[in-house]
Amino acid sequence: MPLADNRWVRRGWPLAVAVVALAVGYALSVGLNGYFVFLAVSAVTAAIAILGLGIVTGSAGMIALCQLTFAAIGAWVTAGLNYVHAPGGFVVWLIAGTTAAGAAGVLVGLPALRLRGVNLAVVTLGFAAAADVTLVQIQFPGSADGVGVDRPTGFETDRSYFFFSVIVLIVCALAVFFLQRGRIGSSWKSVAFSERGTAAAGQSVQSAKLTAFAVSAALGGVSGGLLAGQVGLPLASSFSPLQSLALYVLAVMSGAHLIDMAVFGGILWILVPELLKRWGIPQDWGFVIFGVLGVQALTSGTNLGQGIRNMIWKRQYRRRAAGRRVDAAAAVDGIDGVADPVTTTTVATSKGATAGPAVLTVEGLTVQFGALKALDDVSVEVPAGSIMGLIGPNGAGKSTFVDAISGFVRGHGGRVLLDGHDLAGLSPTRRARLGLRRTFQQDRVPPALTIDAYARFVARRRLDAEDVESTLAFFGCPPAHARLSSVDVGTRRLVEVAANVLARPRVLLLDEPAAGLSHEEHLALATRIRELPERFGISVVIIEHDLDLVRSVCPRLTVLDFGRVLASGPQEEVLDDPAVMKAYMGETEML
Amino acid sequence: MIQGALAGLAAGGLYAVLGVCLTLMSRLVRVVNFSQAATGMFGAFCAVWLVTKAGLPIWAGSIIGVLIGGLLAAVIGWIAATWLSEADTTTRSAMTVGPLLLLISLSFILFGNKPQPFAPIIAGPAFTVGGVVISQLTLATVGLAIVVAVAVHFLLARTKVGTRLRALSERPTTAELLGIRSRPLQVAVWFVTGIISALVIIIVAPSQSNDATSLSMLIVPAAASALLGGFRRLDLTVIGGIVLGMLSGVVAQIGQISAVRNFLPFLFIVVLLLWSQRKEVWDAAR
Repeated sequence: MPLADNRWVRRGWPLAVAVVALAVGYALSVGLNGYFVFLAVSAVTAAIAILGLGIVTGSAGMIALCQLTFAAIGAWVTAGLNYVHAPGGFVVWLIAGTTAAGAAGVLVGLPALRLRGVNLAVVTLGFAAAADVTLVQIQFPGSADGVGVDRPTGFETDRSYFFFSVIVLIVCALAVFFLQRGRIGSSWKSVAFSERGTAAAGQSVQSAKLTAFAVSAALGGVSGGLLAGQVGLPLASSFSPLQSLALYVLAVMSGAHLIDMAVFGGILWILVPELLKRWGIPQDWGFVIFGVLGVQALTSGTNLGQGIRNMIWKRQYRRRAAGRRVDAAAAVDGIDGVADPVTTTTVATSKGATAGPAVLTVEGLTVQFGALKALDDVSVEVPAGSIMGLIGPNGAGKSTFVDAISGFVRGHGGRVLLDGHDLAGLSPTRRARLGLRRTFQQDRVPPALTIDAYARFVARRRLDAEDVESTLAFFGCPPAHARLSSVDVGTRRLVEVAANVLARPRVLLLDEPAAGLSHEEHLALATRIRELPERFGISVVIIEHDLDLVRSVCPRLTVLDFGRVLASGPQEEVLDDPAVMKAYMGETEML
Repeated sequence: MIQGALAGLAAGGLYAVLGVCLTLMSRLVRVVNFSQAATGMFGAFCAVWLVTKAGLPIWAGSIIGVLIGGLLAAVIGWIAATWLSEADTTTRSAMTVGPLLLLISLSFILFGNKPQPFAPIIAGPAFTVGGVVISQLTLATVGLAIVVAVAVHFLLARTKVGTRLRALSERPTTAELLGIRSRPLQVAVWFVTGIISALVIIIVAPSQSNDATSLSMLIVPAAASALLGGFRRLDLTVIGGIVLGMLSGVVAQIGQISAVRNFLPFLFIVVLLLWSQRKEVWDAAR
């Protein structure tokens, strides 16, 4: 068994890295000379701030230009508590500063619930500029009377304070690591790629964004508090918007969503000006260099950390592929794969799957966009354990139907009932959690995740590795450890279906699941979908253009045309209906 | 109250001019240019250097400074048009954070981080309204804002170049297939807005806190005024700038809440954005 697959290795390696880092930190705190120790503390504080930026900009994809403003809040609260001699000492003050910065992050993040992209950048830059001017006016508590911040007991010297800051960095890095690896981290990466996709997975978009902002700002606060302890009397000029911009640029170009790169960024933050100083060049050139490199990184859309990782992955992949060729040659044709799908164009219906109580009931669904009625009084029932096909020409309202039922269209007429409960007024997130899942026609699968992380994120329940692997294999997806970025778009859609099946919903709405698949994959998918009700107890609604697939999978069909139900019922009846033929083939070309 | 409002009018005109530039950029070259004020600042500082150190007459120094501002903007525009021609607004805009950082730092290196000794080009009172003096500067900035907005409006609506520009911004690929050369036109837009920003900053700098950071951060109130017009409407942008300027003038007069003044553009931005984006619940239309 390869080392990486061992359970203990997999769970324990972050802690092992932390212990090693602790040892290195201690060795440095003893070994470095005094001047470098002080610089090293600055590198550590910068690394923590960049770690935070990595979450909000790197993972969650939002532009935040006010990281050091959060640091200033952390420093201000720490210095303030020191000034009034609040009980608890530095560690408690630091935690208070962190909390205050996190709260400020939530406040600044509130607009982010509605704003995205460049608008958010404007908001955060505005906040940074405003806070900077205010900070210059009010100054830090204690700076007027020269009351410096007391360092924690036992860590008063520069050397020991450096060791203290390393401990804080390790704690932060571990916290970020486990957050990134868990649900919350997946939600950040998902919201960066698609808000709709995130909501459809039952994850609240709001909480994903707010947690990203809060955690990021809190890390900023830690960094500021540490800096207050380092210098004693923090200065407003250490937290200027210019520095926040530079930090943003540095985070982007180093790829700060990766913890090692955040630490590397912190080192660069100190190293570049220090080198310039040694070479007798004005230190402001440092930001000029960051500016140039930032433009390079932002125009090419690459960053150092991801570039290095891609290179390593590519080499690993090549080595593995070579290994696999050897295996394949040895075991000539003893393939254990899924049996070849058998698909006929006749219906595989029967099995009484058309009766039973309705799981999903749609009554008089009406959606109006201005003067256009996209859906007009559509009523449909989906019995438990059945597969219903929803077909119709382009523009018939099929996707609007899925959008309305899954909660993405507000203010529609009519009722949608899931297991008899009215879904009126519920958000897509709530509906998904109640067991109404959907997939998208567009690619809404976040490429930053591994297949395993994505499956667990969408499933929203405890899964063991077995469950994940077997369901993925059932749909013919790549193995769980593969990265979605290395998977083609057609296969991503398969992964999307598999992940939603793992969520064990009551009803699964598949919006053209076969688009982008080859004909063989198409047939294979059809056989698998056919098994969903029996194997997983899921009722399925499929929207599909391909009549072959519909014929082989759906015992019941509903045909939409111009937003109305043209026909609904058992497959043969519907397909033989002259009105349906007319809508599909056109009048003159009728067979 | 009115006195404060009128005192803030000059700054309002400045915000409006920069806001009009931002709106223009957003409409025509799909970018929110964070370095809009920074290129102007750099051009203005060059002008000061040329006048005080190289001994050029003020008019010559100013013209060269304005041209430098335009050229800097053109270089950034050339980068955006060459490597980010297919990128979305957010990516293009994020790229301009780099030049913003670079230009501020470079100006620290070249000119130091002290406020610059600007010689006022336009000064003195113009006329008096109800006991309040309106300065020539106020007239100049507000006038410039209105003139630029009107001129741009006519350029876009009435001229052949305007039609091409609009075609390029709305359907870039179609326009290019029709034989409209996109890069020179885009760079030209950057150049012109760079010229305008540098010009207005040279005019206003003597009466502002004129260190590199403060001048570059004028981008914030400028963005606030452009937001009133949703980065699309020029008339609302001008109104937004003037209202914001007058509001901060009023707030500055009231001693107890003068700290609010710092946060005024920020609050303006947040409120406007939340209002204008209230229906944008999702990131994609479908």
